[in-house]
Amino acid sequence: MIFQRKSPVEVVEEVVEETLVEVQPSDDNIDTVVGPSVNVEGDFASEGNIVVKGTVTGSVHTSKNLIVEPGAKIVANVRAGNASISGEVRGNMKVREFVELTATAKIVGDIEAQTIAMEAGALLYGKVLMPGLESGEPSRRTGRSRRGEDGSQESGA
Amino acid sequence: MYVYLYDNYLNNKKFHSVLKSIEIRLVDYGIAGKILRLNNYIDVKPVIEDEIKRGAKNVVIVGNDRTFGHVLSRGATCDCVFGFLPIGPDNTIAEVLGIPEGIAAADVLARRRKEKLDVGWFNNRFFVSQLHVPPAKVRVVYDERFQVTTPFKMEVVVCNFQPFYWKKSKKDNEEFVVHPQDSKLEAFLRPLTKAGWFGYNYEDPSIFPFEEMEIIGDGPFVVEADGKTTKEVKVKIRLAKNKITMIVGRDRKF
Repeated sequence: MIFQRKSPVEVVEEVVEETLVEVQPSDDNIDTVVGPSVNVEGDFASEGNIVVKGTVTGSVHTSKNLIVEPGAKIVANVRAGNASISGEVRGNMKVREFVELTATAKIVGDIEAQTIAMEAGALLYGKVLMPGLESGEPSRRTGRSRRGEDGSQESGA
Repeated sequence: MYVYLYDNYLNNKKFHSVLKSIEIRLVDYGIAGKILRLNNYIDVKPVIEDEIKRGAKNVVIVGNDRTFGHVLSRGATCDCVFGFLPIGPDNTIAEVLGIPEGIAAADVLARRRKEKLDVGWFNNRFFVSQLHVPPAKVRVVYDERFQVTTPFKMEVVVCNFQPFYWKKSKKDNEEFVVHPQDSKLEAFLRPLTKAGWFGYNYEDPSIFPFEEMEIIGDGPFVVEADGKTTKEVKVKIRLAKNKITMIVGRDRKF
């Protein structure tokens, strides 16, 4: 009986922990939001997360997350900690960790990131650079013909 | 020594019982003091400075958001500790400061949990609650680095302590609220996409935390700050850090 009583409590604790873990990322302090018909020009930098629903021209820099929503447009070089792109980006992107391109994403420019996830339907015209691969296999970078054989360094659509 | 600044509306009979019970609680704690009654024509700064000269160390604002703004927009530079006893309607700042309404506020005051708070500064004036620019043709320049424009008329709200309540349209039943944080000013920009006899429509707000911003208008535009309305062509807003020392509650939102 004692064992039977204990087990539901453990389950409840696990559920609570799971929900906490799920809530924390969505509870991220969304610091800066660019609204749908708003146009931002210049060096747009923020220490917190950035959500873009409108247009940004110039440069974008954040150490945290960048979210570009469908219909949004960035004509700028982008530097971010993580990025989730559903809109249009014209410019080079340098992301420290993770880039996610959803089906509605359009990128014209190079992407440099640790990890990239690309959904079917996303459009990309530019180079994809992943620093982990460079450091892992330094000998392959030297020969131009070898890079062509691999085909992993460049991709276009 | 404590000085209590009572707002004019507290003369209303319905607040007498709450005030009485708070005053009794303050006497119990041994923090009762001189009571001064404010009205719209009193400049608070010389009043507070006079009381500081007479030995006052703590100035307690008794009233609502309007009283809080009225006192601190002028008296923020005074060298004393401020307290707040929220009574009556329109008390949103008290929630941010973690001060409960009514008699429980006296307990918070007695605990004396002090915090240094930031205030906003615009065109040679302080504002503590909120600065509001009704929809006008304006552009906003942040920290002299980037500017924000929109083809529509734009409403600008800069929050310091007062939360920002907004609706998407007149018919919208759902009211959104954004709670401000300390150490930053938050600017909410809402383009007005439709305005007419049958209602209005606002876009989702853009939110920018900042330390310095300029609002530049095509023509003169209205600025409301802490209940005072002026017309300006250009407004420069800055954050004055650690300007006031305030007694706050444990449940404060910063």
